[in-house]
Amino acid sequence: MWNTAIWKKTWGDQRVLVLSLVALWTGFPWLYIWLSAQIPMPAFQDVLLRAIPKDWQRLSGVPFTEVATHAGRVALAFVDPVVVLAATVWGITRGSDAVSGQLERGTMEMVLAAPVRRVAVFVTQALATTAAAALLCTVLWVAVWTAITLGPWAGKVDPLRFLPAAANVFGLMVCVAGISAGVSAVDSYRWRTVGILCGFYVFSILAKLVGRLSQPLWWTGYLSFLNAYEPQRLVGDPAESWRLLAEYDAVLIGVGVIAYAVGAVLFARRDLPAPL
Amino acid sequence: MPMLVRTENLTKRYGTFAALDGCSLSVPEGEIFGLLGPNGAGKTTLLRLILGYITPTSGTASVAGFDCVRDSLEVRARTAYLPGEARLFRRMNGHRVLDFFASLRPGCRREVADTVARRLDLDCSRQVARMSTGMRQKLALAVVLAMETPLVILDEPTANLDPTARAEVLELVLEARAAGRTVIFSSHVLSEVEDTCDNVAIVRAGRVVHEQSLEHLRRCHRIRAKLNGPLSPIPASLAASVAIVEQGDDTVVMEAGDSLAPLLGWLSTLPLEEMRIEPVGLAAVYDRFHRAI
Repeated sequence: MWNTAIWKKTWGDQRVLVLSLVALWTGFPWLYIWLSAQIPMPAFQDVLLRAIPKDWQRLSGVPFTEVATHAGRVALAFVDPVVVLAATVWGITRGSDAVSGQLERGTMEMVLAAPVRRVAVFVTQALATTAAAALLCTVLWVAVWTAITLGPWAGKVDPLRFLPAAANVFGLMVCVAGISAGVSAVDSYRWRTVGILCGFYVFSILAKLVGRLSQPLWWTGYLSFLNAYEPQRLVGDPAESWRLLAEYDAVLIGVGVIAYAVGAVLFARRDLPAPL
Repeated sequence: MPMLVRTENLTKRYGTFAALDGCSLSVPEGEIFGLLGPNGAGKTTLLRLILGYITPTSGTASVAGFDCVRDSLEVRARTAYLPGEARLFRRMNGHRVLDFFASLRPGCRREVADTVARRLDLDCSRQVARMSTGMRQKLALAVVLAMETPLVILDEPTANLDPTARAEVLELVLEARAAGRTVIFSSHVLSEVEDTCDNVAIVRAGRVVHEQSLEHLRRCHRIRAKLNGPLSPIPASLAASVAIVEQGDDTVVMEAGDSLAPLLGWLSTLPLEEMRIEPVGLAAVYDRFHRAI
């Protein structure tokens, strides 16, 4: 189930992406909090609580009164496209490379000519991807912590409150990477894997939105794994936040691990086409 | 001689299409076994079945007694494989590629890979992405020939190589045999197969249509003659070793399957105007099965 050579190679493969995301997620919280601080809290509250219709609260997932606080505003950073898209791109990129990416490039051929179990190749890559996701989320949280502690909102909010939100990002990354690796395990072309995943992601966004906005179609929210990605709800009462996180990450990491497991079994059993 | 590789009725079907159909082969230990056939004949399918990349629809394959499906790990532990189009990690340089593959195989001696790379005149400091196709082929050969496994499978190993490197690769293949290793050599270059292999199998449309010992083939000759009189019947004592393969009004082509000596006496009695004796050669055997398609 483990291969050190594959572990090292996977880190080499993901090095550029990891470094890029480290740079992005180190700088982003600083920029986000600095930009947010340019709008004074009373003005922000005025816009949020008076100008925006109350119905729109359903989209945010938390009452506007909670959003209109320092903690609420920092929490919005975790649902900003810079974080969500980067986490998704990470998952799709790494997951799709697991099998179909390497089959498409033709590099899987010589690796599997060695006495290495396919499951070991798959699992070791999954572990390297998960370890890197954990590292990236740690970087994100440390960046949020330093941006709060050393930034314009120093002393106004406790940085530790964002730990569950960062852990929710980790859950999202494991989930997307797992589903991507599962699809990749049965495919032979990375472009097709990525296409399938993009379609699935768009479907998940739409299912979540419809579930939120339409009373009769509330159940569609359960068709979306994104229903378990709610970092903005994880910055309130600490006990409640950790309990909610456990629920969310159980879904996200559970789906990711099941997808990885199914992918490993399918990859071990399938025929591998010759490189084109 | 004990057999290292055995396949029995090995078949791979994709729907109604048979990529390999009832292939039964035995490759003895310590010999170089050639696989010949046009593109799509089923050679690579056979090799991929042996390595466990694909599972057979029916039949079995084994290496050193290990089943290629059930004991794939044991099979691959005993096999070094060069794919037809070897693709390596583009971001790594040659040294790192050799390091990586050496670390994948316990007991693999990294210095052997360096030696092979030097013999192939390969600059391993260059990144794979910046290597020419031939250099990448040399790097893949250094990876594969460094593994001191009992079985080496080479799928078109000399494709894209310059003549010097080509000769060096054939030399390395002969050295592998001298060291007691078995080599399965798939190629389209008949002269290379003829120069290196002990036995060949000719594959056509998924079936092994002919097996040929090269040692026997070297003793076979083709006699082309122009006659100025009628051809007398082949004496009964020679009937088993000579056959007429083509006959015109005043020409005849015969093939002698064994030593020429007993035949020469009868040939001297024929009304010959011209005569040419040449080795049959693998090309003629190959053409028998592939020109006829």
